[in-house]
Amino acid sequence: MTAPPDAADRTARPLVDRVRIDRIRAAAQGFGGNLAAMVLPNIGAFIAWGLLTALFTPTGWLPNPTLAALAKPTITYLLPVLVGASGGRLVHGQRGAVVGAVATIGLAVGTDVPVFFGAMLVGPLAAWLLREIDRALGARVRPGFRMLVDNYSCGVLGGMLAVAGMLVVGPAVEAVTLWLGNGVQLLVDRQVLPLAAALIEPAKVLFLNNAVNHGVLGPIGAAQAAEHGKAIEFLMETNPGPGLGVLLACLLFGPRSMRPTAPGAIVIHFLGGIHEIYFPYVLARPRLVLAAIAGGAAGIVMSVITDAGTVATPSPGSILAVLAVTPKGGYLGVLTAVAVAAVTSFAVGSALLGLGRADRETADAGRRAADAGE
Amino acid sequence: MRGSEDVPTIDGAKVRKVVVACDAGMGSSVLVASQLAAALARYSVSVRHASVTEIPADADVVLCQEALVVRTSRVVPDKPVLGFRLFLGDPLFARLEQAIRNGVPLAG
Repeated sequence: MTAPPDAADRTARPLVDRVRIDRIRAAAQGFGGNLAAMVLPNIGAFIAWGLLTALFTPTGWLPNPTLAALAKPTITYLLPVLVGASGGRLVHGQRGAVVGAVATIGLAVGTDVPVFFGAMLVGPLAAWLLREIDRALGARVRPGFRMLVDNYSCGVLGGMLAVAGMLVVGPAVEAVTLWLGNGVQLLVDRQVLPLAAALIEPAKVLFLNNAVNHGVLGPIGAAQAAEHGKAIEFLMETNPGPGLGVLLACLLFGPRSMRPTAPGAIVIHFLGGIHEIYFPYVLARPRLVLAAIAGGAAGIVMSVITDAGTVATPSPGSILAVLAVTPKGGYLGVLTAVAVAAVTSFAVGSALLGLGRADRETADAGRRAADAGE
Repeated sequence: MRGSEDVPTIDGAKVRKVVVACDAGMGSSVLVASQLAAALARYSVSVRHASVTEIPADADVVLCQEALVVRTSRVVPDKPVLGFRLFLGDPLFARLEQAIRNGVPLAG
């Protein structure tokens, strides 16, 4: 048995730290997984909306005012309600989904922006309240009255929450959503948006990719796209360029053990859109995260320069999915952002692997000497 | 953290259902499950994919990427959870097949 490639990195850290890191990571994955789990099952609806927008709006491929009327109610009402329903379902099954959906429609009607963050909050909360009510009433209701009580507890609670959502929570959520959108715009204006890559790329390789994309960037992007027809936020995590560059660097300059699987991984990552496949390569050589960050940042820089964006979240993050949701006239910007990200992460990754070789040989020699001494 | 005594274990020969888990249960788990399904079909072992939060109750063994092992073990504390590093050609896949063929205990 050879030692795992990252054995040196692991033994460098104290064990207690490792356990704590594992625990924090699991908690973050769990929380992020819940956010993503409210959006991911509904991606088909998001894609339908993206395609409707790309086709029928005045700047689209087949401008058609009648059919374009589908776009706004879909993003304003249908998609948040689906997210709220999925959030409710996670907490309390089908009844949770129903009450979550009803609570979310209150929010959606009470605001002018797509209320995804609000739906992620209100959907599960409504379901939790209903679950508590069901538990409290459970044993006291006679079987003959069960259906009556179940239907009306759900209906009354949902109605009340819809009113509260419309009058109180909706305006608050609208403020937060606008604030987040403005925050991103501020980062764009100050030309510091590429720094986001320093958060996004490390989070991705810790398997928080869905949480970052569907839990955070997607909802911000949806609000932007509803207003401007496309959003850079959709591209920030899903750009397959950084991962492609990392895999190419591993293929050519990586440790011998990585090379045989790299070509298959490239196809699955770039065409299949399963980014997870490159994370282990980065985890095995943690310094490669710098290559991913550089690639991600370069991709964002190019997107800002060319005003690139997509009309919906490309999911999965395959180049094919990215092109499918690229708006008319946006191909050059999007393809440049992907290509520049790939070239940058490849260049940085190759340098890191090449430079690393010298240290590694020294370390191996040291280890051999130590082994011989034992 | 679990002590080493109470790590869930199963005899490889008794494994009938393997579940591969990932965050969304749609992408990487499908990839691994389809590779394993082909290899394990001859032992009449079924392989399914699932999200970490929706692992079927009748799973005998759960596989996931090692970065997700801690989270997965919390969701299914009673099942052996085996972590692999690579999505393609990880040594764990061969070890699992061997354990199922030869009835070696699997713990994790």
